[in-house]
Amino acid sequence: MSATNSTSMRDALYEAPGPHTRRRIRFWTAISLVLVAAGIGLIVRRFYVTGQLAPRYWELFARPTTWIFLGKGFLGTIEVSLMAGLIAIVLGFLLMLGRMSSSRVLSGICRVIINFFRGVPSLLLIYFFFLVVPTYGVKMSSFWMITLPVGLAASGVLAEVFRGGMNAVPKGQSEAAYSLGMRKMKVTMKIVFPQAVRYVIPSLISQLVVVVKDTTVAYVVSFPDMLQNARVLITNYDALVSVYFVVAILYILVNYAINHLAVSLARRSGTSIISRTSENPV
Amino acid sequence: MTQTQTGEALAAEGTPVIELRHVDKHFGSLHVLKDINLKVGKGEVVVVIGPSGSGKSTLCRTINRLETIDSGEVLIEGKPLPQEGKELASTRAEIGMVFQSFNLFAHRSIIDNVTMGPVEVLGVSRDKAREEGMELLRRVGVAEQAEKMPAQLSGGQQQRVAIARSLAMHPKAMLFDEPTSALDPEMINEVLDVMVELARGGMTMVVVTHEMGFARRVSDRVVFMADGAIIEEGKPDEFFEHPTTERAREFLDSIKGH
Ligand SMILES: Nc1ncnc2c1ncn2[C@@H]1O[C@H](COP(=O)(O)OP(=O)(O)OP(=O)(O)O)[C@@H](O)[C@H]1O
Ligand SMILES: [Mg+2]
Repeated sequence: MSATNSTSMRDALYEAPGPHTRRRIRFWTAISLVLVAAGIGLIVRRFYVTGQLAPRYWELFARPTTWIFLGKGFLGTIEVSLMAGLIAIVLGFLLMLGRMSSSRVLSGICRVIINFFRGVPSLLLIYFFFLVVPTYGVKMSSFWMITLPVGLAASGVLAEVFRGGMNAVPKGQSEAAYSLGMRKMKVTMKIVFPQAVRYVIPSLISQLVVVVKDTTVAYVVSFPDMLQNARVLITNYDALVSVYFVVAILYILVNYAINHLAVSLARRSGTSIISRTSENPV
Repeated sequence: MTQTQTGEALAAEGTPVIELRHVDKHFGSLHVLKDINLKVGKGEVVVVIGPSGSGKSTLCRTINRLETIDSGEVLIEGKPLPQEGKELASTRAEIGMVFQSFNLFAHRSIIDNVTMGPVEVLGVSRDKAREEGMELLRRVGVAEQAEKMPAQLSGGQQQRVAIARSLAMHPKAMLFDEPTSALDPEMINEVLDVMVELARGGMTMVVVTHEMGFARRVSDRVVFMADGAIIEEGKPDEFFEHPTTERAREFLDSIKGH
């Protein structure tokens, strides 16, 4: 997300920059650092002026209980995000397979499902699981009431992201595989998808970040995620800005971690080697 | 002795490895293949030449059904080419194909490219496939590159790996669609040499190429295509020296011109 971690991203996905580019990058990095520092200075000044820096808003962070409580919420957010992300990836992958199947019926059904999940706001899906599903006698913990809708909503987007990646793999790759006698499933799993992964990483990251952000509405189903616990702290200590400030930083750290994880996974799957040179001079 | 041999040769000639009967194909309103009839006997090397857009690639690709046909028949060893499923896949496994743009699997090492077919399709053990794969890479002269990725090789090396990848399947016939036209001039011969060796070893081959030297040296027959139809066929020397049709004459002049 920030200027610093995009370096690793660039190494994994693009060519190494030349000397001219490097000089330009250094220039703009310096400019942005100055701007960021100025921005931070402005915020701190504002805090000072409005009295938000007063000890009574911050001393709660000296207590271990505050951190334990926030930590529990943090774990809740991580659990919900991981499960929702997993649902989104697995279901998104399956929906993509169905959408790309040569069976018109299956493909049509999957297209409808994908468009539904993509089109409906995730909050509406959450209300559906929270308010409608229980009336059918299905008992669900608040954990699933938040993970399912968030995961489903993201699966529709990921299915399309995956499909775009599959279509970006040059046709010759699957033709070569077919001509060796591979069947469609094998061609998809062994040849096309592993190469599609490198095209989808940027969109995959942004979508997983959306998942983490979507989990912040967990309060609707009163699941104790980080934001929910933050609200409790705010009410208890009457410290709005300071708590939100700390929590925002924690969310940024989570998304930073997602970014890092995705890039290192991408590197392990060898994407940097393929991207170094264009493979098919035609 | 001689008699049985000629007998066998005749029997082999009796059922061509590849046969196209009255094959027609359209791309939309474009008639790309017009009543194509072609027989390729066992061990025969047939070169297909013709102007750009005449349908050479399409012809080549109908033989393993990378392109479907509208009407007519494609026969492999006398049997109709299956239209789908396991049967189609196993027939494809018996016909090698080498593409103009190599199409090596970009995410796999050179040796993996060569062993994937045998392992994934034929169920050969990894060790055995690897052993045989290394032997093939040695044969085409790229054994030292075995652990590299395709993008790290020159075009000529990649194309030789692509040939080795096809050979690993022990194909009954091989199709080449302009295998040297994406290569820098100095790499063309290293690929042609491998193909010459294959042809001399008795491989049944259909080769779309404009390399007249190759056609003259090893091909049994040259097929000239224009506007989707086979216009002329003949022994390479006769065809190149004395083309009978005006179209072929014009075409030969144009490629000799530069
Ligand atoms: N997938 C396709 N969809 C529509 N038209 C196509 C398609 N593939 C090929 N064609 C057209 O069919 C005709 C024959 O193409 P083909 O590739 O077989 O020619 P070619 O003889 O191999 O030419 P070249 O020497 O340029 O490779 C051309 O006019 C081409 O534009
Ligand atoms: Mg062509």
